[in-house]
Amino acid sequence: MAQVFPKSMNVVARVSLLAIPLLAAGGGVTLAALVRSDYVTGAREVTEQPIAFSHKHHVGQLGIDCKYCHTAVYDSANAGFPPTKTCMNCHQQIWQAADILAPARDSYSRGIPIAWTKIHNVPHYTYFNHSIHVNKGVGCVSCHGQIDEMNLVYQSKTLYMEWCLDCHRAPEKHLRPLDEVQNMRFTAAGYKGPEYDAEGKVVTDEHGHPKMKEYRNQSELGLALKKAHMIREPQVLTNCSICHR
Amino acid sequence: MPADPTNAKPNDPLPGVEAWMNSPQFRDLMRDEFPEDAAEWLDPVSRRAFLSLSAAGIALATGCNPSFKPASQRKVVPYVKQPEHIRPGVPLFFATAMPQHGGVGLGLIVKQSEGRPLKAEGNPDHPSSLGKINLSALASLLDLYDPDRSAKPTRGDARLPATFDDTVAAVRAALAKFDTKPTADRGEGVRFLTAPTTSPTVQALMERFLARYPKAVWVQYEPVSRDNLRKATKAAFGKPLNPVYDLKAADVVLSLDADFLTQGAGAVRNALEFGGRRTVSTVGTHHDLEHKSGKHPKEEEVLNAAVGNLNRVYVVEAMPSAAGVAADHRLPLKPSELESFARALAAELKVEGVTAPGDLPDLAKKWLKPLAADLLKNKGKAVVIAGEQTSPATQLLALAINKAIDAIGKTVKFTDPLEAVKDPTAPGTRNTLAGWPADDHLAAFKQLTDDMKAGKVDCLLMSGVNPLYDAPADLKFGEALEAVRKTASPVLLHHGLYHDETAAKCNWHLNAAHYLESWGDVRGHDGSVSVIQPLIAPLYGGKTLIELLAAVLEETPADSLGQVRKTHEKLDEKTWETGLKKGVFDGTAFKPVVADVKFDAKLLDDAAFSVKPIKDLEIQFRPDPAVFDGQQANNGWLQELPKPITNLCWDNAAMVSPRTADKLKVQHGFTFNTYRSGERGATETDIVELTVNGRKLKAAVHVLPAHADDVVTLHLGYGRTRSGRVASPENDRVGFNAYELRGTDGLTTAKVDVVRTNGRHFLAIAGAHAAMESRRPYRYASKDQFVNDDQFAKVPPVAAAETHALLANLPGTPENLTRLGLKHPHAHDHGHGDHEHEHVHDKRVIPLSLYDPNPIKVTPHLPGAKAEDANKTYRRWAMSIDLGQCIGCGACTLACQAENNIPVVGKEQVHRGRAMHWIRIDRYYTIPTPGKLMSDEYGAFEVPEEERKKQIRRAEDIKIHTQPVPCMHCEKAPCEVVCPVAATVHSADGLNDMVYNRCVGTRYCSNNCPYKVRRFNFLQYADYSTDSLKLLNNPEVTVRTRGVMEKCTYCTQRIRIAEIEAEREWNNPARPKDTNGRPKILDGEVVTACQQACPTGAIKFGDMNDPAAEIMKWKAEPHTYGLLVEQNTMPRTSYLAAIRNPNPDLEAVIHDGKGA
Repeated sequence: MAQVFPKSMNVVARVSLLAIPLLAAGGGVTLAALVRSDYVTGAREVTEQPIAFSHKHHVGQLGIDCKYCHTAVYDSANAGFPPTKTCMNCHQQIWQAADILAPARDSYSRGIPIAWTKIHNVPHYTYFNHSIHVNKGVGCVSCHGQIDEMNLVYQSKTLYMEWCLDCHRAPEKHLRPLDEVQNMRFTAAGYKGPEYDAEGKVVTDEHGHPKMKEYRNQSELGLALKKAHMIREPQVLTNCSICHR
Repeated sequence: MPADPTNAKPNDPLPGVEAWMNSPQFRDLMRDEFPEDAAEWLDPVSRRAFLSLSAAGIALATGCNPSFKPASQRKVVPYVKQPEHIRPGVPLFFATAMPQHGGVGLGLIVKQSEGRPLKAEGNPDHPSSLGKINLSALASLLDLYDPDRSAKPTRGDARLPATFDDTVAAVRAALAKFDTKPTADRGEGVRFLTAPTTSPTVQALMERFLARYPKAVWVQYEPVSRDNLRKATKAAFGKPLNPVYDLKAADVVLSLDADFLTQGAGAVRNALEFGGRRTVSTVGTHHDLEHKSGKHPKEEEVLNAAVGNLNRVYVVEAMPSAAGVAADHRLPLKPSELESFARALAAELKVEGVTAPGDLPDLAKKWLKPLAADLLKNKGKAVVIAGEQTSPATQLLALAINKAIDAIGKTVKFTDPLEAVKDPTAPGTRNTLAGWPADDHLAAFKQLTDDMKAGKVDCLLMSGVNPLYDAPADLKFGEALEAVRKTASPVLLHHGLYHDETAAKCNWHLNAAHYLESWGDVRGHDGSVSVIQPLIAPLYGGKTLIELLAAVLEETPADSLGQVRKTHEKLDEKTWETGLKKGVFDGTAFKPVVADVKFDAKLLDDAAFSVKPIKDLEIQFRPDPAVFDGQQANNGWLQELPKPITNLCWDNAAMVSPRTADKLKVQHGFTFNTYRSGERGATETDIVELTVNGRKLKAAVHVLPAHADDVVTLHLGYGRTRSGRVASPENDRVGFNAYELRGTDGLTTAKVDVVRTNGRHFLAIAGAHAAMESRRPYRYASKDQFVNDDQFAKVPPVAAAETHALLANLPGTPENLTRLGLKHPHAHDHGHGDHEHEHVHDKRVIPLSLYDPNPIKVTPHLPGAKAEDANKTYRRWAMSIDLGQCIGCGACTLACQAENNIPVVGKEQVHRGRAMHWIRIDRYYTIPTPGKLMSDEYGAFEVPEEERKKQIRRAEDIKIHTQPVPCMHCEKAPCEVVCPVAATVHSADGLNDMVYNRCVGTRYCSNNCPYKVRRFNFLQYADYSTDSLKLLNNPEVTVRTRGVMEKCTYCTQRIRIAEIEAEREWNNPARPKDTNGRPKILDGEVVTACQQACPTGAIKFGDMNDPAAEIMKWKAEPHTYGLLVEQNTMPRTSYLAAIRNPNPDLEAVIHDGKGA
């Protein structure tokens, strides 16, 4: 019987052998990419809400402070969801009759709360605390993304543990001065602020006024603020019981 | 539409399918899914459970979630108008009070999260609590959410739905017939039967009711009553009084069968004051002496002064109790002989008119002289406490003795009674009311049943009582109820939390509001008034007794709050608000009554006062240590709590001593062994038939060393038939109903016949799960031995490998003392003037680690400290447990269960050794040999079987010890190195973290744990399906699923929350800073649940890096030791060895002068 494959196919066979590890590696990479993809993590997935509340309008265009609605963010684990009363503070005066606000008026008059759909879900065994993050200088935008550009809010990060640890291992990547925490547009490059010494103390001039300094990038600012804000070491921040109880 | 379509009348609308499906016939049809004899699984795993498990398995196999996408449809429901003070995620704390046994209140602070009450803690401002708590209050949260609670009012035997208004209308109708009669004749046939109450509002309402219906009678009844106390104080003072003990001031305490540390009014306060006198603090004493004299005190001086704090406790009892654990001397004595003992002691103390009886056991006789001498020596600083259940004569004798030793007004004070009692000497209208409660509750209750049987009662209103279950058997309360039902138009109203045994026989039932759902008021053990403040609106629309009474009287305001405010209308708004917030109104405690004891020895021969000694076998009925009289029987936490000393759960049993067991031929061949009381905790025992005056009961036997001989102890509160799924599951019941045996002829003690039957019963004994065999886990010494060698606890006989590193981490060493700014007491002895001298017992030791110990120094000026170390280590959490103060009551176990969402597993799982408690209480028995160091005598395990058989039969010589064992948080934790998935790892601050989401359930860690403190979820124990129980879960702690290991976390959630609170104040000048300038968690900011609950204050927790921390004082004590420290685990939890204070004279007499 004649050979099925001509001799020249040997080369093809050898090259194909090489392809096996390549394929395996490619598969691995694809899988890793897949689990981090928006499809799997649910990021960038817009969910309908009982009221089409636009953060883009309220935050981006009107410039309402985050804390106006999320009142507990500085002193509780939960940022707090605004009660219907908060909506009505303004909307009793403006847009009183807008159709889009009917559920809010309805809730307010009948005393039945609005059930919003939660966007940022962490597992039940993970205890995230808003207050410690904002009090130490982690900006809202670091976890929630450009809220000021979202009509309906979506999750913009993976919310994976590796993503949490990324910052817990190197908090300097996301630290900013306390009064810039709610700033949606903050960049460290060009930021003028007090200069800190190696111990994290503010450097003062001969009159006792803080010496100002223009920071070049996030890393420079972050490392200075890490000392100044007394951020704990990664050896502590990555302990299991910091988030899991 | 009629409920039963077969009874439909012609004009009723046509019954639909739903009605048919509701009919009893249809339900009968559907009860068996398969017609008769069709095979059903007889296995405990039902077919249904199997199907749901397999469904869960399929779900697991497909990755838990059919979709790859995370579940993002969770809802957030904010308020419409957010109430003031509410910050979502931050719990609120409210002061309230729980009416407990006798109606006496215990002040509480209850934690509430998003409107759900979650955990009860003691109220530091309340005189009865002082911040501590007992089992009943801790477990009451589970009662609140009990899905078996009665959810609606019912009427008639068919339990037809009714409303509160219907119920009130029925009572009003029964009262309406008096409207035509003159006032004096109103109320004929009306009886109120309630539990004793101290509530001023209820009393005021009852007073108004009785004034309106003078022929009505209010009877107070409780199965465990204070009748005998009232009788005795009435005889002595002319009117019933309430004793208030001051154990802080008592150097010598004699308990006559009184469990004064865990039961009765004021027990929580007693325990704390008592605990303060059971601890030895050389560090504190050193400080004080140095401060006083300005000189460096001598070691002997310090030790002698330190042990001076110890009080001395004598306990005479049959059944070992918490007081018996604490005792320096314990005399097992039959309850019926107690009176003779008290008489003999009174005679010894020359109380006028008392002669010593001749028939005391020899050992008891030996006690008398040294005991009397000790009491007299401590005149004014000693106290005798007689149990409230003991005969009036015994309590009267105790009063006379207290007078003789000058205790009255000093260590024991008396106030007016707390409960509503007719007091002819007091002014006020209530004392002229014929129907006002008498002081003899039992006599009044007897009168009530007689009246009922005679047909004189047609309106019986019961609240908070369950007499059909717990009334004395010979009164035949069931027959009395039947007699009422036969009257012309009976109203039998039952008002209670459960549709219980009594409710089933009543034609009206009204579901009560739990105390956490109601407004009310209550008096503490000293008379202080607290407001009961609701934490949640009634879950099932229950009503309070106040609301019921107000509605019956047609009063306004009709709500409880209005009525309570009305009672206290004299208080201005500010006082009211302050009292509400504080949990107690200042200055409302009763003033102590200044009265002299009038002792009439003739009363001792009065049959109504005295109990004759029972020559043969006797039975004593005592409230159960966990479920008490049975009101809280349907509580899984209480049922599963290993009871103090016996470690029994989910049952009561006839407790007998080993010698009595021999005599009765039960548990034949029984050899007691602490660590093998049955296979993994299931102990098979005989069932015996007990006969008291012709009444019979079959009950399981439990052989208990240290129990008095010829006595059977049977606890009340079990054998409920109608309480709920926990205490009375279908076709089964938990425990044995002692009330069936108990009659008015012997409420406390009676003659009993015991016959062994062929029956066998399995008892679940949790204590056998995790014994540490012969490794000397419990260490103790007498005061003299401690003064001789304060380091006695440090030398383990097994292996002396205490290294420098070990000592550095287990304080009590020069380094630690230096860090406290103190000098080591031993420093002088070595005479080198070298205060830093290392004090190591075994000079041959080699370091056990290749690595340097953890950088522990925080103060930069100390040698060897590096600044970066200080920044790395932060805090070092540690715990210390004082065994001298532990009374084994179990409050720590229960508090931990409530705080950490620990599931209840059920009796069968406890049998298999799967109880889930994170902190267990080990119990040990020892028999010290006179003249030897007590700790050397530890070793009951090394003695041969035959010798052990003999030893456990020496009830009078056995000492009982209890030791709480939580996770040790070892620095070199054996569990961590064997976990294949790193699910248990160390944190920087020294916690042995358990990561549930990583755990795959290999159980290697548990295997490798020398302390056996790890618990595994063998099945899905946590309840994910019962809605009401979900509300109880602490939101700060993960609810664990099946297949996950868990253990004590040092309440890591409390640590982390305190840490976050401190850290976020990094730039707040008000927050104190540590030496590194970092925000500091103050000592006492982190309190673990067990520490918070412990009634004696035996647990301390804190940061070892904080030189000011209280825990450092304990850790620096010379008698600190670590459990199994020779294993080089370097445990963070350490123990203070117990220092006892025995009376050398008594020791000498007991051992016939062979030295003590």
